[in-house]
Amino acid sequence: MIKKALIKSILLLTLLGLILSVLNPIFILKEGHRNKLYQGLYEHQGDSLDVVFLGSSHMINSFNPNILWDKYGFTSFNYGTGGEPIDVTYYLLKEVLKFHDNPIVVIDLYYLGLTDEYGNEEYVRYVLDNMKMSVNKIDAIFHTTPSHNRLSFLLPILKYHGRWKELSEQDFKFDVFSTYYAKGYSAGENIYGKNNTFSNHTKETAEIPPKAKLYLDKIIELSKEEGFELIFTLAPHDYNSTLEIPSWHPEPAKMFNQVAEIAEDNNIPFINYNNLFDDLDFDFKTDMYNAGHMNIWGSNKINAHFGEFLHNNYHLPDHRKK
Amino acid sequence: MLFNSATFLMFFPFVSLVYFLIPHRVRWAWLLLSSYVFYMSWNPKYAILLATSTLITYASGILIAKANELRDREKATRMKKTWVALSLLSNLGILVLFKYIDFFGTNLIRLSLWLDLAIPIPNFNILLPIGISFYTFKALSYTIDVYRNDVEPETHLGRYALFVSFFPQLVAGPIEKSKTFLHQFQEEHFFDYTRVRDGLLLMLWGFFQKVVVADRLAILVNTVYNDPASYRGFAIVIATVFFALQIYCDFNSYSDIARGCAQVMGFRSSRNFGQPYLSRSIREFWANWHITLCSWFKDYLYIPLGGNRCSKLRSYFNIFVVFVVSGIWHGATINFLIWGGLHGLYRVGEDLLRPLKDKLVRLLNIRTETLSMNLFQGFLTFSLVCFAWIFFRANTFSEAVLLLNNMLYFNPEIFTRGLIFELGLDWKEFIVALLGIFIIILGNIMQRTKRFGFDISEYHIGFRWTIYVTAIVFILVFGIYGPDFDAQQFIYLQF
Repeated sequence: MIKKALIKSILLLTLLGLILSVLNPIFILKEGHRNKLYQGLYEHQGDSLDVVFLGSSHMINSFNPNILWDKYGFTSFNYGTGGEPIDVTYYLLKEVLKFHDNPIVVIDLYYLGLTDEYGNEEYVRYVLDNMKMSVNKIDAIFHTTPSHNRLSFLLPILKYHGRWKELSEQDFKFDVFSTYYAKGYSAGENIYGKNNTFSNHTKETAEIPPKAKLYLDKIIELSKEEGFELIFTLAPHDYNSTLEIPSWHPEPAKMFNQVAEIAEDNNIPFINYNNLFDDLDFDFKTDMYNAGHMNIWGSNKINAHFGEFLHNNYHLPDHRKK
Repeated sequence: MLFNSATFLMFFPFVSLVYFLIPHRVRWAWLLLSSYVFYMSWNPKYAILLATSTLITYASGILIAKANELRDREKATRMKKTWVALSLLSNLGILVLFKYIDFFGTNLIRLSLWLDLAIPIPNFNILLPIGISFYTFKALSYTIDVYRNDVEPETHLGRYALFVSFFPQLVAGPIEKSKTFLHQFQEEHFFDYTRVRDGLLLMLWGFFQKVVVADRLAILVNTVYNDPASYRGFAIVIATVFFALQIYCDFNSYSDIARGCAQVMGFRSSRNFGQPYLSRSIREFWANWHITLCSWFKDYLYIPLGGNRCSKLRSYFNIFVVFVVSGIWHGATINFLIWGGLHGLYRVGEDLLRPLKDKLVRLLNIRTETLSMNLFQGFLTFSLVCFAWIFFRANTFSEAVLLLNNMLYFNPEIFTRGLIFELGLDWKEFIVALLGIFIIILGNIMQRTKRFGFDISEYHIGFRWTIYVTAIVFILVFGIYGPDFDAQQFIYLQF
């Protein structure tokens, strides 16, 4: 009789699971990243991308797929999401690689500076809530979220059920139109108007926070296993802007010197744009949106440089000619 | 480990599954272990108190039985009385120490200040061990039952310890008596699909009452009662009516989940609630409210005091004492004392006024069995109960007085200007709250009249499963829980 009850329980739970899998996406908070990730992960499939960009908000306003297309005919997508910790980047990369064989993977490493074991829950949700259920997603939940939150990452309705009273038409459908042309990229038009306060350039190095280091190593390992090209970047920002954040590395300049060494040891290009201001004629006052992010003009300068870098160093086809 | 926590939703299926898979002779050990794990999830140290209470009452049972064997009857009676008194004193001593010491301390300090005496009175600031009032009463019932020869003393310490600590009933009842529950641990319970399913459905009903209704009503109640100076008139009336329903749903849900858990494993628990708010008198209300506690007081306090087999005056005194003690059982505050006292007065008043009522009914030729009369009596009873709830819920005595003062204010505009939706529940939440209340009342009426017999097992599997799944999804969507809210502690866990 226990067997019969067990079978019935499993059937009932499966039925419930199916219903919840329909309800979960309806209840998940629809913020900007949802459409973008859905487009990037589940609509752009079948080896259509030459280059994929991953990282935090610094990446969102770094590389513009439209410029790379217009100038060189490269296809790319910017998967950057706000506040994305490096461990989450690793799992998002694995998700991207499910649909794209060996694209060039470009990762902004700003978030290596996070010293906490887990990223901010809302930021992590930008990515994980918008990934379809898979072994990789479950793996990600167990490694990038604290244990007390895991159940609500597995079943987002437990987190968002209170939204029943604010559900609107938008919650029942996907509208990738708003992000379709931008391909994940966005940059603002504000002009920061202040100079970079950081001037203490140094050759010294400092340790990367342990969990960030672990996932940096995992990403490098993955590139070797899967055989894709990896490029590390660091977008322009004021290193002093994170000094007040308690869960941040106190000496990012030194830490990124360490990153440069690791990259060199592994033959991975690491473009730290903070060291290229003079070469690119980058004016912190007018090319930044705020202390941490570029505006559209700053971003254009970076894109011009990076497009040329790709063109000169990698044999990427010009898809415009097709 | 609250019943409405994710931990319990994993703990219970695991415990019950293992329970059925292991042989009967070791099941007591498994349940005992599980019960202590359950209890220690709050604070491991308090398990010492639980064990102490268990050991004292267990020993008292053995010693009373030994005394019973003495040939010298006089000595036997003396010994029995000694053991029962020692058990009562030590258990109640622990209860008083942990539950009331601060109350006495604070009031002694007040008194000494008033009398201008400089008596050094230490402030203990002891945390109340969860469920202590419940398991102490359960353990005491055993000592008294053995003393009265209502049960055989339990020689198996493990089984007895399980009776006291049985996890579904441990922290908020039902307060089972040893004569109705202890022997069930010797029975072998087989897995019975229908029984297990019905137990789970009872738990599901409990979860609905708790997370959809009680915790939603609590939002409005807390808004008003935690800031009594800011609200007047109907806002306080609504909050009080909502509290009446909240505490019923909250406590009844706990009892239902507890009964459901026990039923899954084959144990038959006592009902703790009938349909209290359909009562037409205070006497009827108390026959339907916290039944196991009332029954405990009746057996072990009211009847020993003489019950109603004495003079009228004395029996009223007995009733009053029982209600005052029941008030204090809830906690050491003036408000609980007043709440108990009010109900004592209601009960006595009801008895005293009965001849007058009967006279009026005869004189005016009123038909008593009409719907309107029932509604009138029901409304009157509910109003009296609600009035007493004000003292029960108010944070302090002065706040209760403030609420009563502020309530005497006629402000019907809160209904027309939508101000009612500014008490913590917006209009959508309010509708769900009212829908929840409607379902609860409908359930109560169905149980009371038994007119709409509804046995779910008679229906087609498709219909049954639709009901199950809809109920679970409804609770998941409309429940008040989750990372944005702290799981609301059941109100009765604090007593």
